[in-house]
Amino acid sequence: MGHTIAARTPGVFYRRPSPDADPYVADGATVAEGDVIGLIEVMKTFREVKADAAGTIARWHVDNEDEVSIGQELVEIDP
Amino acid sequence: MSILVHDPGLETTVQDTGRFGHYAIGFPPSGALDSFAYHVGNALVGNAPGAAALEAVYLGPTLEFTADTVIAVTGADIPATLDGEVIPLWESVAVRAGQTLAFGQLAGGARPYVAVAGGIDVPEVYGSRSTYTLVGMGGFAGRGLAAGDELALGDDAVAPRAGRRVPDDAVPVHPEVAELRLLVGLHSYRLTPDSLERFTDTAWKVTPDANRVGYRYRGAELEFVPREQPFGAGSDPANVTDCGYPVGSVQVPGGVEPIVLLQDAVTGGGYATLGTVVSVDRDRLAQTKTGDRTRFVPVDLDEALAIRHDRTAQLERLRSDLS
Amino acid sequence: METRYDHGGDEFVYVEIDAAMSLPAHFTSLAITRQLAAEAIDGVEEICPSNASYMVRVDPDRIHPRDLVRELQRIESEVGAGDDDFTVETRIVDVPIMLNDPWTHEVLMRFRDRHQDPTGTDLDYGARINGYDSTDAFVDALASSPYLVTMMGFVPGLPWCFQLVPRERQVEVPKYVRPRTETPERAFGFGGAFAVIYPVKGAGGYQLFGSAPAPIFDAAMEQPDFAEQDSVVFFRHGDVINFRRVDEAGYDEVREQVADKQWRYRTAPVEFSPRRFLDDPDGTNAAMLEGLYS
Repeated sequence: MGHTIAARTPGVFYRRPSPDADPYVADGATVAEGDVIGLIEVMKTFREVKADAAGTIARWHVDNEDEVSIGQELVEIDP
Repeated sequence: MSILVHDPGLETTVQDTGRFGHYAIGFPPSGALDSFAYHVGNALVGNAPGAAALEAVYLGPTLEFTADTVIAVTGADIPATLDGEVIPLWESVAVRAGQTLAFGQLAGGARPYVAVAGGIDVPEVYGSRSTYTLVGMGGFAGRGLAAGDELALGDDAVAPRAGRRVPDDAVPVHPEVAELRLLVGLHSYRLTPDSLERFTDTAWKVTPDANRVGYRYRGAELEFVPREQPFGAGSDPANVTDCGYPVGSVQVPGGVEPIVLLQDAVTGGGYATLGTVVSVDRDRLAQTKTGDRTRFVPVDLDEALAIRHDRTAQLERLRSDLS
Repeated sequence: METRYDHGGDEFVYVEIDAAMSLPAHFTSLAITRQLAAEAIDGVEEICPSNASYMVRVDPDRIHPRDLVRELQRIESEVGAGDDDFTVETRIVDVPIMLNDPWTHEVLMRFRDRHQDPTGTDLDYGARINGYDSTDAFVDALASSPYLVTMMGFVPGLPWCFQLVPRERQVEVPKYVRPRTETPERAFGFGGAFAVIYPVKGAGGYQLFGSAPAPIFDAAMEQPDFAEQDSVVFFRHGDVINFRRVDEAGYDEVREQVADKQWRYRTAPVEFSPRRFLDDPDGTNAAMLEGLYS
C-alpha cells in the first residue's frame, strides 16, 4: 500500500520551480523523506511541498497548476 | 519570560486591535483580522482588551515557552498540541516552562490565534503593536515571525488561570459557504443593475490571492454602466476620481475579480467600490480560505448597526463571564 | 455638483463633493474637513480629506452615522468654498525630480505589454494624448507650475498632487491597462489628473514619468526632516509642491546627501487662499515660488 502526500495549505500546485525548469521529481523517481516534490502558491508566496516518506513516485492525483485544498491528496509514493 | 519560535508556519504575525489615527496619511489599521477570536483569546488568559497576540494562517506555528504561563488558542478549528498532547481550543490552558505548542492540519476556518498571559511584548509603533509588513513597521521587527525569533512577554495579566472556557454556543462555526453582510453603496451606481444583482447572487470562490491586504474572488463577470469618465478619474470604466477606501470595501478592477480590502489594505485609490462588508463580518471573512465559497448579503445601515451592537454586547458578556 | 453622502459599512461615512476632480471641489472638501477637525465632534475617529471627496471613520457607539451626516451637512452649509476669508496655513516644498530617468525607464519598458501604447515610453504617450508637439514640451508643462497635495494615502506617505493651473492647462492620462507588478521606490507617476511619488516599491498602475532622489517615507526617521517632524512620512495634506527638474548629476548629489543622512527639503511657509488662487493662479504661484527660492 502506497503513501500519499497531501496539501497542507490551499493554493496553486506546481511541479516545477519555474515554468521552464524540469519538474522537481520525475514520474517513477525515487525520493527521500524531506525531498521537495513541488510548490504551493498561496498569499503570493511559494511554499515547498516535501515528501514525508521515502519511496518511488507512483501516481499523481493533481496536475501542474491545479488549485488544491487543505488535505487534498497530491501524489502517491510506493515504498 | 519569552516564546521561542521553532517554526513560524506560513505567516504568523503579532497583532492587536490595530493602529488608528493615521489613515489620512496612508496607514491602514492592521490588527487582528478576526477581532472576535482575538478579543476572546485575551479575555481567556486574563489580558486587558488591547494586549498583543499571535495570528497565524492555514499552518500554525511551533512555539516553545521558556516559563510557566497560560495560553488560549481561538479562531480556526485546528488541532493544537502541547508536547504532543491535544489541548482544547477556546479554553485557557496552563503551559509549563519548556513545553512546545504545535498545530496539526486545519479542519475549519483559516486563522488560529494564540493569546498568552501578559501579551506579546513588542514596542508600540504609532500607538499599536500590530505588524504592517508592507513598510516593515510594528509587530516583531516589522515582519512575520521566523524560526529562531524570541518574543518577550508582558507581565500584566490579571489572575491568569487554566480552565476558563468559552461556552460552545459562543464558538463561531465555519460554514461551507460564508455569508458576508454588506452595505451596498459608495460607487455601486457604476455597475449595471444586472451586475449588482449578479454580485449578490453569486457564490464567489476565494482565489489564492487572499491575505491580510485583501481577498480576491472569482465567479462571475460584472459590467459597468458606460459613461464619459469624469475629469481626473482616468479612462477605465472601473475608475473613479481617487478617493478613500473604507476598510472592508469591495472593488472590482476590470469587472472580473472582486476584492474585499482588509486591515492591511491600501487606504485609497481610483477603483469604484460597490459597497462595504459590515465590520463584524470581517471576522467571518478572516476564517475563510482559498477555495472556499462566499456570498455577499445586502443589509441596510440599521441592520449593520444592530449586528455591531449584538456583537459588542456578546463580547462584553463573555468578558464578564470569563473574568 | 451636488454633494453625495453615503455610508461605507458601519464605520465610515463617505462624502463626495463631485465625481470629477476640480480645485473648487477640492477646496470645499478642504474647508469642510478643517472645520470638522476644529469642532472635535465626539465619535469622529479619523478625518481623511481626499481629492474631490472626503471620508470620516466614525465610532457608531458614540455617534450615530446618520447624525454625523447631519453634522457634516450643517458644516457644508456653513463653509463656502468661495469664502474670501478661508485660508490654509501650509508650506511650499521644493521637490527635486528627474524626468525620463534610467530607473523608471527600465521598469516601464519591461511592462510594455500592459500599456496602451507598447511602442513608445510613458512620457511620449502622455505628450501625444495631451496634444503636445514634443515630449520636451510636455515635460516643461509638467514642471511649469506647482502642485497641491489633495490627498494622502494608498500606502503611507504617498501624496496625490494636483497641478495648480486652470483646467485647460491640466494634464490627464489613463492608468495602465493592467497594473504593473513592480514600481521602483520614489518613482514619479501620473494617473488620471494626479502626479504621485511612490514612497516604497510595489505594484502600481500610474504612468511612469521620472524619479525623485529624495525619500518621502523614512521608517527609521534617519533623515533630519523626518526626525524633526517626528513622522515617518514627509508630506502632509495641503502641502504645495514645486517639482524642480534635475539632471543625473543633480539626482546623484541628492542621493549622496541622503546616504549621509543630511538631506533637507527646502520649504517656506505659505498662507494659501483658494479664493485668491482661483482669481489669479499664475500670480499666486509666482508669489509662492518667490517665497520658496528667494
